[in-house]
This record gives sequence, C-alpha cells and structure tokens, in this order.
Amino acid sequence: MKKSNLSLLVGFLLVIIFGLLLFAYQVRQTQVAVVTTFGKPTSDRTEPGLYWKMPWPIQKVYQFDKRIQNFEEDKFEETFTSDKKNLLVRVYAGWRIIEPRVFLQRFANGSVQEAERTLEGLIRTEKNATVGKHPFSHFISPNENDLKLVEIEQEILKSVQERAKGNYGVEVRFLGIKKLGLPESITQKVFDRMKAERDRLVQEYKGQGESQSIIIRATADRERDSILAQGDADAMRIRGQGDAEAAKFYSVFEKAPELALYILGLNALEQTLKERSTLILDQRTPPFNLLTAKPEAPAKK
Amino acid sequence: MERNIRKIGLVNLWVLLAGATTSFVLARLSASFAGQTVSVFIGLGFLIAAVSYFQMRLEERERLERLEFDELAKSRGGSALFATEEAELFAARRSREQFERFMVPAFTVILFLLQAGGAFLLWRWLEKSSSAKLAEPLVAMALFGLFALVLFLLGKYSAGIARLEGQRLLRPGASYLLLGAYLCFVVVASVAAVEAGFSRVDVFAARALCVLLALNALETMVSLVLEIYRPRVKGQQARLLYESRLVGLLSQPEGLITTAAQALDYQFGFKVSETWFYRFLEKALAWLVLLQLGALLLSTCFVFMEPGQEGLLERFGRPVEGRQILQPGAHLKFPWPIDRVVRYSTQQIQSFNVGFIPDPEREKESTVLWTVPHYKEEFNLLVASRDSEAALATSAPGEQAVPVSLLTVGIPVHYQISDVKAWAYSYSDAGQLLEKIATREVVRYLVGVDLNEIMSTARQQTAEVLRQRIQDRANELDLGVKILFVGLQDIHPPVKVAPYYEAVVAAIQEKEARILEAQAYSSNQVPVAAAKAKRKVLEAEAYRARKVPLAEAQKARFTNQMAAYEASPTIFSARSYYQTMARGASGARKYILAATNTQDVLNVNLEDKIAKSLMDSAAGLSTPGAK
Repeated sequence: MKKSNLSLLVGFLLVIIFGLLLFAYQVRQTQVAVVTTFGKPTSDRTEPGLYWKMPWPIQKVYQFDKRIQNFEEDKFEETFTSDKKNLLVRVYAGWRIIEPRVFLQRFANGSVQEAERTLEGLIRTEKNATVGKHPFSHFISPNENDLKLVEIEQEILKSVQERAKGNYGVEVRFLGIKKLGLPESITQKVFDRMKAERDRLVQEYKGQGESQSIIIRATADRERDSILAQGDADAMRIRGQGDAEAAKFYSVFEKAPELALYILGLNALEQTLKERSTLILDQRTPPFNLLTAKPEAPAKK
Repeated sequence: MERNIRKIGLVNLWVLLAGATTSFVLARLSASFAGQTVSVFIGLGFLIAAVSYFQMRLEERERLERLEFDELAKSRGGSALFATEEAELFAARRSREQFERFMVPAFTVILFLLQAGGAFLLWRWLEKSSSAKLAEPLVAMALFGLFALVLFLLGKYSAGIARLEGQRLLRPGASYLLLGAYLCFVVVASVAAVEAGFSRVDVFAARALCVLLALNALETMVSLVLEIYRPRVKGQQARLLYESRLVGLLSQPEGLITTAAQALDYQFGFKVSETWFYRFLEKALAWLVLLQLGALLLSTCFVFMEPGQEGLLERFGRPVEGRQILQPGAHLKFPWPIDRVVRYSTQQIQSFNVGFIPDPEREKESTVLWTVPHYKEEFNLLVASRDSEAALATSAPGEQAVPVSLLTVGIPVHYQISDVKAWAYSYSDAGQLLEKIATREVVRYLVGVDLNEIMSTARQQTAEVLRQRIQDRANELDLGVKILFVGLQDIHPPVKVAPYYEAVVAAIQEKEARILEAQAYSSNQVPVAAAKAKRKVLEAEAYRARKVPLAEAQKARFTNQMAAYEASPTIFSARSYYQTMARGASGARKYILAATNTQDVLNVNLEDKIAKSLMDSAAGLSTPGAK
C-alpha cells in the first residue's frame, strides 16, 4: 500500500472513530440520561445501553448518576431546643434523582452542586424547625426513655420529603444526625463543670482517706491505751497482792521496833550508797575517826 | 505564487485563532485541564502567525517597491531620481527594517513574558485544581480529534510549502499548527485515559504541557540574549527571533530523524540511510505505529482480576448477563469502549476511623497519654452525664445547665464488601456513606450513656453494640457490606480536662495511702501496747514473787538478828554499821575532811568533769582542807 493510501486509511479511521463519538453515547447501569434537541428535553434514557443521537450542538446528552448520593451539610449550625438550650446539629442525607428531566430543568445544566445547595437550604430549614420542637433531653440523656433521636430524624426527613416532592426531581431517601455539639463558649463551661466534678471527687477521696485514717489511728490509740491501762491495773493488783503477802511477815519487826528501824536504816544506807555517790565525811565519822586516833588497839581488860 | 503564500499565511492565522477559541471553550465545557492548556499554545501560535503574516506583507511591499524602482531606473536612466536620499526612495524597505529592528524584539519580549507568565499561572492554577470529573468526554474527544485532523492537514501543507518555496515566514505558523494538532491528540488520549479510570492523567498531561511552555519561554529568553551579541553582516538574512526551534522540532520530528541519519552516515562512513533496514523502518514506521495502537486496543480485551478482587463487567454500560461479576483470574471481553470492567476489592479488609484524624508522625510515639493529643484532630463528642442531671434537679427550670459531658473517642471500623452489586450500583459513594452511618451510630450511642459508665463498666460491651448497630443500619440500607470489627481503642475525656481525671485517680491512690498509713500505725501501736501491758504485769508478778520470799527471809533473819542483838547490843550495832559501810560505801567516792579547823568553808564542785580535776589534784585537796 502506498504511503498516501495508508495516510488516507488512517485519516478515514480517525474520522470514523471521532464521528462515532459524536453520534453515539452510552448510558451506564448507574446512570440516567436526558437528551435535548436544541436545548429542549426530548427523551429520557433510564435503561443502560448504547444509544444514538444527532451530533452536538443539535442534540446534547445530559447524564446523571441515578444512584443514591451522599449529602452532608457544610455548616455545623447552632440552633435552639424547645427548652431554650443551644445545640449544634449537623445532618447527612441520601438522595437520588428520580425525574431526570425535571432535575435538568430545575438546576442549571443538571448541576449536582446546585441541587445540593438547594437541598441544603431545605434540610437546614426543616432541621432547625424540628429541633426547636424538642427539648434538650430528646437529644442527650442518660435515660433511654427520654431520647428521641431517631424520631427527630424521621420528622426532619418527612418534612424534607414533603417539600421536595414533585418540585426538584429528586427524592430524599434517608437522613441522619451525624454530629451534635455545643457552642464554643458553652463547651468551655462544660469543661469547667467537668473539672469541678473531678475536683469534687478529688476532695471526696482525699476526705475519705483522711477520715478513715483518723478513725483507724484513734481506734488504735484507744486499743493501745486500753491495753496499757489494763496492764497497769493488773500490775498494780499483783504488786498489791505481793505487798499483802509480804506484810504477813513484817509483824516480827514489832517485837523489837528500835532494832528493826536500825536494820532497815542500815539496809537503806547500803542501797543508797550502791549508786554513784559521793561521801564528804569528817574525821569524826566512824570508822574514819580512826584516822585521828593513835594506831593502837584498845587495851585488854 | 507569492500571493498564494500570503493567503496560506492568512488562513493559518485564522485557523489558529479559531482553534484557540474553540478549543478553550470546549475544554472549559468539558473541564479538561490539558485541553485548556493546549488552547494557550494554540493562542500563542496565533500571535506568532499574526506577526509573521505582518512581516510577510512588509517584505512583499518591499519586493514590489524594488520592482517598481528597477522599472523606473530602466525607463529614466541616470536621472535626478538617484540624487535623492535612499531612505526616501525605499520607504517600504525602511519600514521592514524598522519593524525587524524594533517591533520584532519587542514582540519577542512580550512573547517571552506571555510564555513565562502563562507557564507560571497555569502551574499555580493546576496546583489548586483537583482532578475534576470530565463533562461530555466523548464530545470533547471527538471535537479535539477533529481539530487535530484539521490542524494537522493544514500544518503539513503549510510546512511543505514553506520548505519547498523557502518561505521562512510561513514556517512559524505551520509549526504551531502541527504542534497544535499533536497536542490535541494528547488531549484526546488524556480524556480517554480519564474515562478508562486514570483520573489524574488529565492533570498530569496539563502539567507536562506547562513544563513545555516554560522550556519554550526559556528558549525565547536565550534567543533574545544571543540576538544582542549576534554579529550583523550586511545582506545576511536574519533568523526569525520569535521562531522556536523547540516547537519546530516537536512539530516536525522527521527533521530530527533526517539529521540523525546524516550524523550516522558521517560517523560510519557509508550511507546508513540507504541500508535496507533504515529504508524498511522509514516505510513501515506508520504501520508499526498502527500495529502498536492495535495491540494496545487488543490488550483491553484481557482482564486479569487480582486476588481479593471482583469486577463488574458492563457492555455498553449494561451488566453482561451471566458474567456480571468477574472473579479473580483471567477473563476475555470486548475491547474498550464496548466492554468496561470496574474493579472492587471485596475480600480485602478496608477500614476507616470515627472520632479522629490520624497523624502519621504521632503514631510513632510509644506512649499514649490522655493529656497529650495523639491524633491530628480529635473530635469532642457529646455524652450524657448523670452527675449533671443530678445537679439539674436542684436548679430552677430556667437556670438548668446542659446535662452533658464531652468525650474523645477513637474508633476504627473494619469492613468487607459482601455484595459488590449492591455496593457499586446502589450508592454513588458507598464507602463515604458507611463512614457517615458509623459516625451517626457512635453519636446516637454516646448521647444515651453516662460518661463514667462508658469509660468503665460499659466499655467492653460498647464496641460490640456499635458493631451490631452499624451492621443493622448498613443492612437496612442494603449497602452490601459486612462489618468485621469496631474497636474502642481510645476513649477518654478531652485533653483539656484529662489532667483532672488523672487527679481523681491520684486522689484515690492518696486515699488508699492514708488508710494504709493509719493501718500501719494501728498495727504497730496495739501489739506494742499489749506487749507493754504484759511486761507491766510480768514485772508486777516478779515484784510479788520477789517481795514475799524476801519478807519471809527478812523475818527469819530478823529473828536471828534479834537474838544476836540481845546477846550483845553494842557489838551487834557497831558490827552491823561497819559491815554496812564497808559494803555500801566501797564503791562511793569519798572525801574525808581530816582538818581540825572546821570553821573553814570549803567549796567543792561535784560535777563529774570537775571531779576529774579534783582527782588530778587529790594530793592537794586535803592540804587546803587541812589548813
């Protein structure tokens, strides 16, 4: 094949391929499509497959995702509960296009971003209205009977569904509360309260420790004193018994009281001098009087 | 012929303008980054073609002026006409020279600024842009392909005319036409790649084109600098300053091949370019490229599913009956774009986190403390508080505080896709929805439990309850997913109040310490007291045991002493006295005043230390006393 023929063939193939791209389009399982002819919607394609069309700009195909799409509020919005408490609520929702032609007409070029902006306005309005009907305890409470979170979600969903029905070509399938919060200033106060609660517990535990410590110590002191007192009493009683029993033998001293006193004096003197003592005596004190007498024995009689 | 060339130049000019405008509009509509970048190249090509066309017209005017002058010179011969100034005679030539001297460098400077500024701004713009979804990709591919064909055909024709006729001023426009054609093919390829699932290719292609534009700017700047130092030889035709060699090379790569062939001929000493292999390559190159493209298309007929993957096979967008789900292994399918396979990792365990955003840097830390943030971001979640509720009971209705506490949780969730069709076809982003469901269930659970309970007794059951709730909700929405694990790896008060929670634990320890200290005191005091009491009793018993026999012995002794006394009262008394003194005073320190003068007053310090000195001077003590 000549080079020019080859070039022609390649050019022809390319023209065929690019032409096909202009005349054909696919709709996937996950998509729906709306075909417009000179801007006017002329047909909807809800089933997947290969379809033909007139080239742009005569016909234009708008393809949309027909699956459920996620939506979440951009803003974490503050609102009031029925008992005048501030609460921040953020919700998410699942929505899908059910009427592609209506969807295309309602939103510029079928813009999903535009649709989500509209949906956000709807959801915010209904959410705030619904939150305002419920007390704070319906959102947060340790008592299970008070909590009405699921019911609140259903209320918001129902209101949004009613508003969206037939107007936007979309259906909101489900809605959930994704985040609950408090304004920063209140959050700070909650922190303060939590700190105070903890501080109360700290003091409580310290007090309990101190109190139990004092009780245990006092009990121990009482028991100690009681034991010691009992010991003293027993000892005193036993000593008394000893004294009484000894006293029986002291009656003998009555037979010669002067001698008894003299001997007791000597005994006491001896006992006294046993400890560290210093005696200052003069030469008249027997037997030191011998120091001044002549060193000779008394004469025999 | 000259007139024809000017026409070609004009056509090039308008085609480039139309190409730049339409490619920009189309690229904007289809949101193709590469397309928008290519439109900048074609726009610059239009400017260059416009300047070269203007220069072409000036040269044409000069040529006509020269012809006219030659005619006049022939008809009049040597006349006064030649007496006039040359500048007055050749106005067109002067205009052309002025244009080349001032306008061309000025335009080249502007061109450089446009190229450099364009490259910079485009790069900045691409950095901020994420890979957006293309709109009308098939239309974009078709129209860019057609642009490419038109630009290519016209560019080839213009380049051929420029080469054959030696029309240097036609060359820049032709080069940009060809470059525009190739770049339009690049856009088609990048859009096709994005459609095939490689969503970043469009951005990467756009960045590569930015680099090319920056190189082009660099080349223009170098040309400007070299132009200053270029030797000017009268009569020598100057090279077009704004013509890019880089663009010329890219738009006509065969020139490079010819140059390479000539270099090989020179190097090897024989005509390499005349060998059969070279000639075969030259002839078959187009076929080889076509073959390559065919092989590329054929390769899209084979699908190899990796272990743990499942694929959804679609033909013209419709699930293929009987082969809807492709299991791991090799599969055949029709080529792209007839059949298309979307892969999902169904067996692989996937995960996400609720309550925090992990921080790769902090994950390296070996200790996790409540008081130190250990994630990139930790969210404070509301949790019910019985303590606060109890406090509310004592408050007036309007003054009640909110009965909540705040808690930080770190909950990893592991899951597996159990039904790939439900996962892929029911939701646009099932993974993201699952995260929202999990977060909602965590929030719903926390608002109904007490802070202290969840952090202590209810902690174990919380993870299982959460897993079950997330699974139930996913089943309710037919998400096609199995929740394998929900972990409560982290649950603690926010960092700001965490130290106060630790203080409570410290206080409990302190309480225990105080009680233990008291118990230790008690354990010591009671037995010691018991022992002391026992000792007292025993001492008393000892006293009694000593007292009674002693009294008895004393009685016996006294009876005997009485007999002895009656026998000799004086001797008994003296003997008893001396024995007592001998026994009792033997250990005592004794000072005996042997002096007769007893009126003197002696001062004796009986403190021990003094006593020692007294001992030292014992010899002298009696002396003063004696005196």
